[in-house]
Amino acid sequence: MKKNNYLEKLYNSNKTLIIYKVDQGYDLYTDFSEKIVLSKKNINFFLNKIKNKNSKNKFLDLYIGFFGYELLCNLINIKIPKQKNSNFSKSIFYKPETKIEIRKSINIKSNLKSYKNLFRKQTFQKTKILSPFKVNLDFMKYKKIFNMFSKKIRAGDTYQIKICTKYINKSLINPVSFFWKLMKTNASPESFMIRDHNYSIVSCSPENLINIKGNRIRTKPIAGTLRKTKKTNLNFALKFFKQNIKETKEHNMIVDMERSDLSKICKPGSVKLIKTKYVEQYKHLYHYVSSIGGILNKNIKLIEIIKAMMPGGSVIGCPKINTLKLLNNQEKYNRNIYTGSFGIIKFNLDMRFNIIIRSILNYKNKSEISVASGVVVDSTAKKEFNENYIKAKSLLDLY
Amino acid sequence: MIYIIDHQDSFTYNVVHQFSQFDDVYCSNYFSIDEKKLANSKIIVFSSGPGSPRDYLKTSKIYKKFKGKKKIIGICLGFQQILYCEKGLIIEQKNIYHGYQSKVKVTNKSIVFKANKAFLVGRYHSLKLKEPFQSGTIKITMRCVKTGVAMAFEDIINNVYGFQFHPESFLTVNGKYIIQKILSFK
Repeated sequence: MKKNNYLEKLYNSNKTLIIYKVDQGYDLYTDFSEKIVLSKKNINFFLNKIKNKNSKNKFLDLYIGFFGYELLCNLINIKIPKQKNSNFSKSIFYKPETKIEIRKSINIKSNLKSYKNLFRKQTFQKTKILSPFKVNLDFMKYKKIFNMFSKKIRAGDTYQIKICTKYINKSLINPVSFFWKLMKTNASPESFMIRDHNYSIVSCSPENLINIKGNRIRTKPIAGTLRKTKKTNLNFALKFFKQNIKETKEHNMIVDMERSDLSKICKPGSVKLIKTKYVEQYKHLYHYVSSIGGILNKNIKLIEIIKAMMPGGSVIGCPKINTLKLLNNQEKYNRNIYTGSFGIIKFNLDMRFNIIIRSILNYKNKSEISVASGVVVDSTAKKEFNENYIKAKSLLDLY
Repeated sequence: MIYIIDHQDSFTYNVVHQFSQFDDVYCSNYFSIDEKKLANSKIIVFSSGPGSPRDYLKTSKIYKKFKGKKKIIGICLGFQQILYCEKGLIIEQKNIYHGYQSKVKVTNKSIVFKANKAFLVGRYHSLKLKEPFQSGTIKITMRCVKTGVAMAFEDIINNVYGFQFHPESFLTVNGKYIIQKILSFK
């Protein structure tokens, strides 16, 4: 991406910014005319309001923001027990008035005449580390939970469950520079960044959860990750996944689960596997992916779509309800944004949402990086504990 | 109408879509069963779900109430639930089959399917039926080719059927055919 004076000024201004990766580049949204903090109480009102809006401007008639994990659990009647909590908002959505398409060239759409008026901040925010990262679960604690869940799997209470670990430090960060640094090495297709006045989020999520155009919905779960080396290629990766019974079983389970989630909101017979068990490659890794689609029931409500699909199954485990209850009782820290969803709802009701993983939340001068890996009986606590660290590493390396 | 009792599984709506190719389907959560609709239904399906049959008292009651009066079909946990009600023991197995594709074969006890016919099926279970299992009317009609574990039963007298595997899974080849056969029998 070429340096652009206007963008540089924008990054150094005091404006709230959101950047979302798209196929050919990045979309940057700013000049927000509304900021809505959502809870279980007002979410229905918010979603109904969108349904009744007319779409005139296809670039800017949309809300962009995130649903946190706790709100998504509450929507499907799962209560979170008392946990350590930074009291971060459960969900925030913004209405942009300016959109900048960052491609080979820059393309600006704005409802405002004044969009070019930028106020430079007093000082450019530099990243400052005030305390080293600490992990909330050490190996002994992790192993205890892992073994407990292994028993639960044997007893049939869950088929697969993902334990979340958190890395937390005290720090100030510059999310814009973090984001572009991350995009150089890890431009995952669902990456995004939010810089608001009192918090920021940086994520290189690879996973799309909902893609709706008209009455068509699609989801693209990932189950299976392999690191790239000099010896690997696409064919090697495909063979690796196909011959690896653990990865294959996990993947099969996610495919059937997502088919079922889609079937809650789609016309009978319309849910189909678009492409099953293929490999997508990124700069540093391969993902084992399936693509599943369906045709939405007529007059389906937005809230029903969200309740059927979220939180995304591939980062929770299976079956969803019982597994959520099991893991909520074990986790001592609120997941906040982690395994929630970030994305866009357009006024014409098209939607795009990801699953928030591989993310940094910076709030009240604390950064938290959450990662999770699955307990399945063919795995060991040591292996999964290490995998968690590998997943967090590219984000920890930014500091 | 087919009434599907959802034991809060993440696969139940695949069952709903599969069965709705043949008849109207009503599906409710285990915790909010509509007694009137249940009484008016022609067929009752017990879905798969987490845990073991002793966790689902209400389903056992429903089974005992409607056995012999309506066609009843159990899938995975539902299969175990029926066997449990018939004094079968449901136990943990050594190998766990979550997301597994296996070959099963029809035994010579089956009336609905042809003996020795093989199917590729998707499995999600850590528990199984302990054998030998004796019942006057229930016959084990499919078995895993590799391990011999019970994979389906038929009770022709009482019109009760069960599958340990998941006919609605994308891992099951010919799942629609299997369900069609069961639904159209008698």
